Amino acid sequence: MSRHHGIAFKLAALILSCTFVIVAVIVGYNYYYSRDIILRQAEENSKNLAQDTAGRIDSVLITVQKVADNIAFSLEDATLSKKELLDLNKRVLANNPEIYGMAIAFEPYFLEADKLFFAPYYYRSGGRISFSMLGSPDYRYFYMDWYQIPKELERPVWTEPYHDSGGGGVLMATYSVPFFCTVDGEKVFAGVVTADISLDWLEDMLQNIKIYDTGFAFLLSRHGTFITHKDHNLVLNQTIFTLAEELKSPRLRDIGQKMLAGESAFVPMDEIFSESKQYLFYTGLQYGGWSLGILFPKNEMLAEVRKLSNVMSLIGIVGFIILAMLIIYIARKITTPLRKLSGSALEIASGNLDIQLPEITSQDEVGDLAESFKIMKDSLNEYIANLTSTTAAKERIESELRIAREIQMGILPKLFPAFPERPEFDVFASIEPAKEVGGDLYDFFFVDDDHFCFLLGDVSGKGVPAAFFMAVTKTLLKVVSERGLDPGDIITKVNSDLAAENESCMFVTLFLAIMDINTGETRYANAGHNPPVYMPCNGKPEWIPPLGEPVAGVMEGMKYSTKTMTMHPGDIIFIYTDGVSEAMNPENELYSDERLMDTLTAMKNPFAPELVKEIDKSIKVFTRGAEQSDDITMLAMQFCGKCEKKEQGE
Amino acid sequence: MNFTDTKKSNALVVNVTGRMDAITAPEFDAQCQNWLDAGETKVVVDLGDLEYISSAGLRSILAAAKRLKGSQGELLFSGLSGMVEEVFNVSGFAAMFKIYKTSEEALAG
Repeated sequence: MSRHHGIAFKLAALILSCTFVIVAVIVGYNYYYSRDIILRQAEENSKNLAQDTAGRIDSVLITVQKVADNIAFSLEDATLSKKELLDLNKRVLANNPEIYGMAIAFEPYFLEADKLFFAPYYYRSGGRISFSMLGSPDYRYFYMDWYQIPKELERPVWTEPYHDSGGGGVLMATYSVPFFCTVDGEKVFAGVVTADISLDWLEDMLQNIKIYDTGFAFLLSRHGTFITHKDHNLVLNQTIFTLAEELKSPRLRDIGQKMLAGESAFVPMDEIFSESKQYLFYTGLQYGGWSLGILFPKNEMLAEVRKLSNVMSLIGIVGFIILAMLIIYIARKITTPLRKLSGSALEIASGNLDIQLPEITSQDEVGDLAESFKIMKDSLNEYIANLTSTTAAKERIESELRIAREIQMGILPKLFPAFPERPEFDVFASIEPAKEVGGDLYDFFFVDDDHFCFLLGDVSGKGVPAAFFMAVTKTLLKVVSERGLDPGDIITKVNSDLAAENESCMFVTLFLAIMDINTGETRYANAGHNPPVYMPCNGKPEWIPPLGEPVAGVMEGMKYSTKTMTMHPGDIIFIYTDGVSEAMNPENELYSDERLMDTLTAMKNPFAPELVKEIDKSIKVFTRGAEQSDDITMLAMQFCGKCEKKEQGE
Repeated sequence: MNFTDTKKSNALVVNVTGRMDAITAPEFDAQCQNWLDAGETKVVVDLGDLEYISSAGLRSILAAAKRLKGSQGELLFSGLSGMVEEVFNVSGFAAMFKIYKTSEEALAG
């Protein structure tokens, strides 16, 4: 588990990462989608709220305007007495609770020629209606905005909000309507009718608008002055433009311009009026040139969405953990038996077939695997048992074959020098048995005191039959040779004996020679054997030509002929089996008669043992350790005559 | 080792190619049994394309000849060359069997 991750880990990693992505996408999509909905709703709500608020303010303003307009209208038509004027003023104020105070201010000396000031003013104070006459040397109302601007413009105006120290002594805005009288047929300016509204009243109203926790509304005057604002320091002291200057916010200035132009819009705001991001809805009022702004704190607007997302995330995480535990549990459930099986497999691999397999009863693939595993173990057990007995039997046969091989090799003369007391000749033979039992044979012995018989043969085929045939042949040859017959007669006799009961068509090739060790006269016969080599001392080696007579052991009644040749001192006859010429190297090339002849030619007057050993070495060099398929048997017979052996070689 | 049989009017001509050694010789034995079962008596074995023959191969040939002879049949050879011809000469097989230059000659003889 430390080197590589198990199935449990891989499964969990794969599924959980997929799940994570899915949950994240759902939560994320949900957040953004809900946020969009909320924002759209907020925009809609804010529009409604703002329009509602604006409508309420407008309704107040229009009432105030109408009242003032009506009074001004009536003043133009009727000539009212001073008392009537005062009554009218007071009555109107009493009937219109929206109005804070009302004045009817006349031009100097207009109503009464001796009175500079005439401006009765009724206003609310402590729940009652109070009265004062405006105008004094300290308060020359003709110069106030509320008087002068309508007079100059000759139309009603709303003044900028101001703090009226002369009248009500509160923050107010005043609607002033000029009225005219016809004097001498000419329409002249007579004064203004004013209606004040208290900004406290406006502020109370705006503050009653609940916009989340920290949202609020504000009102701008015609010139951008803050009429109401949460921050009282701003009211009348700053315009939206001075604030923009102070905050270095071109955006706020831009918004201010749009607000004064009476536009409406829902826009995102930077952290201008608050510490967090906000949305601003602004709209122009119908009267007074005012505009209303409502600020919505973004994070509070989206609090619900956040809460929803958090809950969803939490559900996701909890589900994620439960899923992870479930996967790990299932994977463990699968892998635990697998791991047990794996351990058992390792145990079996190391040779312990008697191991108790883990008990796995699950009805699934793992159960099937365990079942197969059990069958495999049982089969292996059975197989091993079979193999053991087969191997034992095979080993027994092989050991018997080996013993047979040893016996077979044992009947060949192996002791060299074979006749150290006879200086007239030297004989040397070698046999290199192939892995499988073969049928090569050689022998040499004295037929009588002067005649020495040597022979070499090759039984066809391999294995036990060949070995038997070889043993029979060798025994027969020895027995028959000792009767003192010619080589041809010996082979003729042996052939008849072998062929008589040879159902299996085994045969043997034979070269048999008898040498007169005093004269070197050698008589020989050849039953289908490959030609031996005659190596004259100081001469070129040559094949002893085949006689064309067939292999022995097949054709009963076959006559074999005898040839005669004369050996000179130092001459060698080299007899070999086809194991020599047909020895193969790893490339399946044959050693060949040509190579043999070349090797023999290269040797200069060798001794018999030296010759055999040299050829053997040459074959080994050629085959380079390739497996030997046939016995390699060689026999070298050297005639020395009367000479000393050592002198011959030198 | 591969065999190609060609049925002629009075004999079966068999072309043997490849190597005839201790490993492949049993195939020749089996093939020979097939000929006998098929009732063939005169079989001409063309060894023109045989690369190599070992003593085991020779034994198979002997066995085949013997079995054919037992059924009043005959085993002829043709196309001997190279190493195979040499082995036939050395082992005396050339003297034991009728050998022709070509299979046509063998059929005619």
